[in-house]
Amino acid sequence: MDNFEKHIRENAAQFDEHKADRAKLWAQISAQLQEKEKETKVIPLWRSSLLRIAVVIAVIVSVAGFVGLSMFNKNSGEDQYVSKELLEINMHYKDLVAYQVELVKKNPNLSEEDKAEFLSFMDELDTEYETLRLEMQKNLDNERVLEAVVANYKKRIELIQRLLQKINDSKKIEDDYGYTL
Amino acid sequence: METDIRFTHKTLVEQCKAGNSSSQFELYGLYVDAMYNVGIRFLGSKEEAEDIVQDSFVDAFKNLNNFKYDSSFGAWLKRIVINKSINRLKAKRIPVVPMDAHEYHLSDETPLETNPVDIKKVKLGIAKLPDGYRQIINLYLIEGYDHVEIGEILNISTSTSKSQYHRAKKKLLEIISEM
Repeated sequence: MDNFEKHIRENAAQFDEHKADRAKLWAQISAQLQEKEKETKVIPLWRSSLLRIAVVIAVIVSVAGFVGLSMFNKNSGEDQYVSKELLEINMHYKDLVAYQVELVKKNPNLSEEDKAEFLSFMDELDTEYETLRLEMQKNLDNERVLEAVVANYKKRIELIQRLLQKINDSKKIEDDYGYTL
Repeated sequence: METDIRFTHKTLVEQCKAGNSSSQFELYGLYVDAMYNVGIRFLGSKEEAEDIVQDSFVDAFKNLNNFKYDSSFGAWLKRIVINKSINRLKAKRIPVVPMDAHEYHLSDETPLETNPVDIKKVKLGIAKLPDGYRQIINLYLIEGYDHVEIGEILNISTSTSKSQYHRAKKKLLEIISEM
């Protein structure tokens, strides 16, 4: 290996200059992963080390900000582990939905009617979610309520994804054409 | 005690195998930027790199049980990203090795000694390389594979990999010296 090669290999890290859009990519990855295993597995967090919980919380807090914190503080004592899980699931879907709703709102290819119709669907699901959340506060361990919450979010995501798919499909032909190297 | 590099993040990987989604997120966080950069280097487009990275992580998590610590998790994941990228290029009929590939180019193997070059110039130089030269340079110089591994990745023989690499390097040095 000559000097040139050594020099580059030693400085290979400098070629990593781009930063990925973490939230966006993860939203899509986890959506695809969950498509496969329809039922959301609930893994007891207390099995992992304290450090891991801290890391998880740090991530959630940084993403969810004070919203997450306020929810977290509501529950204490023995509910704590369950609420951590809940918080995590909840935040995950909330982010996913918020991100995609944003995409829809920004999309110039959609007519106002479509947007309004879509948002009214979302509002309906919001109401449903609110009921579920109240139910959940009364009865935190109820798996059925939990599943319903997740199903509620999934419905939204599906809705949005179908919408986006439609838009993208119509755009695709153009895109392919424009891409030449 | 120094642990084998293959077992880096073993606990995390094991938790992911068990389907723990927060572990998956953590592992993802550790590697996403590196993989994204690999994708960009091969495909030259952010959108396509995102696509490939996303696909690779989904595949990796779904097939994690096939990962037996023969390499580090990072190296395993990187191979997935690279294989997908190469396949994508092939599907687009973009050459991954020089068109006129033949193996009679063992001519001047005298090391071309150069002064340490500016990495920025190297980056620009690689970007200017013709299709077919870029991938082999990336694989050898930046991703750090040897010619046997590159042969496997590009589906060419080890000696072809060597000769094509030398050609590509010569071309790259030419481009850089003209800057």
